[in-house]
Formats: sequence, structure tokens, C-alpha cells
Amino acid sequence: MTDVAAIETEALSKRYGRHRGIEDLSFEVRPGEVFGFLGPNGAGKTTTIRTLLDLIHPTSGSARIFGLDSRRDSVAIRARIGNLPGDFGFGRETPGGEAVRLLSRLRGIDGSARAAELAQRFRADLDRPLGQLSRGNRQKIGLILATFHRPELLILDEPTGGLDPLMQEEFLALIAEERERGAAVFLSSHELDEVQRVCDRVAIIRDGRLVAVERIDDLLGKARRRFTVELRDPAGLERLRSIPGVAELEIAGSRATFTAGGDLDSVVRELAGHHVVDLEATRPSLEQVFLGYYDEDEAG
Amino acid sequence: MSAQVRALVATHLYDRRRSVLAWGLPLGLMSAFIVAIFPSVEESLSKAIQGYPQGLKEAFGIGELSNVEQYLHAEMLSLIVPLAMGYLAVRAVASGLTGAAESGRLDVLLSAPLSRARVVAAGFLATAIELAEVLLVTGFLCGLGSLLAGAGLDAGRAAEGFADVWPLALLFAGFGAIAAGFSLRTSVVTGSVAGLLVAMYVIDLVGRLDTSLSGLRYFSVFKYYGNAIEDGIEPVAFLGVTLAACALAALGAWLFERRDLAA
Repeated sequence: MTDVAAIETEALSKRYGRHRGIEDLSFEVRPGEVFGFLGPNGAGKTTTIRTLLDLIHPTSGSARIFGLDSRRDSVAIRARIGNLPGDFGFGRETPGGEAVRLLSRLRGIDGSARAAELAQRFRADLDRPLGQLSRGNRQKIGLILATFHRPELLILDEPTGGLDPLMQEEFLALIAEERERGAAVFLSSHELDEVQRVCDRVAIIRDGRLVAVERIDDLLGKARRRFTVELRDPAGLERLRSIPGVAELEIAGSRATFTAGGDLDSVVRELAGHHVVDLEATRPSLEQVFLGYYDEDEAG
Repeated sequence: MSAQVRALVATHLYDRRRSVLAWGLPLGLMSAFIVAIFPSVEESLSKAIQGYPQGLKEAFGIGELSNVEQYLHAEMLSLIVPLAMGYLAVRAVASGLTGAAESGRLDVLLSAPLSRARVVAAGFLATAIELAEVLLVTGFLCGLGSLLAGAGLDAGRAAEGFADVWPLALLFAGFGAIAAGFSLRTSVVTGSVAGLLVAMYVIDLVGRLDTSLSGLRYFSVFKYYGNAIEDGIEPVAFLGVTLAACALAALGAWLFERRDLAA
């Protein structure tokens, strides 16, 4: 492993004629980092991944993987990465084991032992044709094909789609092991809970543009907290409206709920002037933060 | 040949193993039937042929039907086998490119350190082998039919007749590779190249029927597809069409390298 960024994009853009794909994406994924890539369907996640893999060519900008140009050096790059496409398929009649053998030959390695080990771990059937497997069991084969050669960078597009909760846990354990080994992981997902559990940083993409690239803790730390407070004298609750940063204030009798972001000192000082019967502050989940970015967009 | 191309060719041939029998059996059995009935229809055919217009006989390459080789050429090798094999060729090459893209296999293959040009080269090579296998099965069954019926088919000449179809069919695999450089939809690739195959046959036919339009025949590969079962393989045409097929495949690989493999 090296100190060179696993992925580095600079103003990466892709347009399909008049249609937007991705615009001006600039971000970096470091070796040994698990990087979550979040966005709803059509936001540009898969376009980004396909551009990194040189399956589609950028309209402008550049992407470098381990310092290599994603277009010019794509073959050399792919020797060092593992990829699980969003809609994994390999032909209905091919058994997983056959796919492993072919990929091993294309990579010039003998990956049979590692593939068997992963198959046992994920309870995957390498002998049955993929067309006879359920979506979740096909996805396990896809995960094996993406990881059996111990790549330095894993690019995973919706990796846990169809996996049962036990296998999702096993997948998260595998990702943690890959990070321990020093591999970088680029994880595109809708499963915000798993992203929150396993990722070091996340990027949020909206309409083809990055709207945030943050450490998860920082993202959550910056997010607005929700407060529920009960005062002995309800009259004091109205004073909360005048505090900068307080929003969504709703008062019911002696209880009030509101959200507050940024510096909370003024909120605490205001409440300290009253007799507080009860106080509860909750941090939003990543899902709420994520949805917040989209609510802002819809609000204009 | 690189280990990667060998691996892809072997996989392609394994995946399409059934097509060798699916195409070779009907074509072979039909050819066997044609040669097997020749002794019983020889006399009546000769009389019938004498009444055919000269232009029609030239157009369909049936100058005379005085031996089983001429009959096999007229019934199978002048139309059915070349068209069927040309269509099989584009189907086979498309399965390795557009078919792989549609099934998602191409995305997985291209996760490995493999150039797209090698994927095209492997698809083309595998198609060349598959065509040879189908022609071998067809020729073998035809020879067997002759042997069982005592039709007296000359094995060497028949082999040349069937072998001469190979470069012609391969040319359409080359066109298929080019079409895949423009579209990743199997139906578009097979449809457009099958249309080209039929158009070329019709152009050649029209050129042969009307001498004033004979110049059109240069736009059809069928001009270079003779009557090998009677005249032997024309080496220059055989090699020339084979090289043209390879050149088309190389152009297809170049286009395939440059196109987006969109989801």
C-alpha cells in the first residue's frame, strides 16, 4: 500500500447529450479509508463509479486511481481493484465457481482457495448456475468476485441489496477487515445505517453534484439537534423564538420541541434562567441528515 | 495468443456449445437429405433444368445439375448455408459483446485487467472457431448421408464447398463487431447485420441477373463467394475475405474501446 490517494477526482463531469450525469465532482479517498457515497436513484452514483472504472468516459475533468489516470491506465488500475456492479450479473447458466475460475485466469492468479473461504463465510453456492440463485445469493457471488483477489481498492455499488441481515453483518465485518488490511473501500449505498456503521467519511451527491464530503462524526456534529424541554413556567418557552439558530419551535402547554444547530450556548443560557423540569436532546441519524440535504433542495 | 484471450475464447465456446449442434444438426441433416435423394431425382431434375431460363440458372448457380455436387451447391451452398452461417456469425459475436453487456457479464469482466480490444478479439476468434465447428458437423452429416444413400458425393470437393462458407460468414462477424461499437443492444446489432447480409445477397443476385448492374456486385461479398464444390476454393478470394473480416473486427475493437459502456 502507498500514501497516494486511492481515488482522486478533479472536476469530474459526465454529460449524456443534454442530460446531466455528474458535474464537477472533486473528492479524494485515502488508502485504508471506507468512503460512503450517498444519493438517491438517479443522483449520479453509478455514473461516477462507471467513470472511475473507465466503462464510460468523462466529458471533462479527471480521475486518478492510485495516481494512475483512469482512462489511459485503466487496465493497470483494474489489476488493483475489485468491483461489484450495482446490478450484478454474469449469465444465467454460469455457476459462481466457473466465474471465479475465469476471473482468476484473467487476473493471472489462483484465487480458488480464497474464493472457497469467502463462499463458506457467506454460505454461497459456487456450484449452481447463477440463474438458479435468488437475488441475495447471486449478490454473494458478486461479492466473492469483487474481493477474492484481495484488491487494494474495493468499489461496491449497493453491495448489500438482497442480503439477509446475518449476511449484511458478515459483509460489514468483511469491510472492516479489508480496512484493517489497508484496502480502501468506495461504498455506494442506500443503506444509511450500514454506511454510518462502517464508513469513515461520506460524500452526498444530489443532482450530479457533491453537496457534502465530511467525516461522519463531523456531519452528525454539524447537524441540527432536536430538543424537547419542559419548564415549570411555560411563559419562558416563547422566549426561545428569539434565539438565533432555533427553528421548528412547537409549544404544547409547558413542553416545547425545537431544533437548534451550530453553537448551542445561547440555548443553554436561556434555559438556565428557568426551572427546567425535563430536557432531552437527540442527535439526528445519518438518514435524517441525508434527508435534510434533500429537504433543503426541495425547499428551493 | 494471450492467456486472457485463451480464457475468454474457451469460456465463449463452452457457453455456446449447444449452438454447434443446434445449427450443425439441421443444416447437416438437410444437406444429407439433399444428397441422399439426388440419385432418385437426378433424371427428372435434368429435364426440368433444361426448361429454366438461362438468367435464372446463372443467378442461382444452377448451370447444370448433372452430379450430386452441383445439386448440393444449388440447394444448400448457394443460399441456405451462407445465409444461415452469416446470421450465426453475427449472433455469436454479439453474444460475447452486446449479450455480455446486457447480462452484466461485461462489467464484471472489465473489472479485471483486461482491455476491451481483447474482449472483441476473443469474441471474434471464438466465433471463427464456432463457425468452423458448425461447418464441420454439417459437412460430416452431409458426407454420412451420401455414404448411406450411395450418392457418390466427392468428400474432398464437398469439404471445399463447406469450407468456402467460413470466410464469408466470418465477414459478418466482423460487421457485428463494428455494429457493437455503435450499439450495445443485441437486437440492433443482429438486426442491422442480418439486414446487411440479405442486402448483399440481393445485390449480388441483381448484378448477376442484369449485366448492366453487374458493377453493384463489388459491394457484395457474395461476388467473391464462388462455387468451391465444383471449382475448388479460390485462395485469393478466401484469404482476401478472411483478411477483410479481421480488419472489420479490428475496426470494431477500436470503436468498442472508445464507446461508453453505459448502464
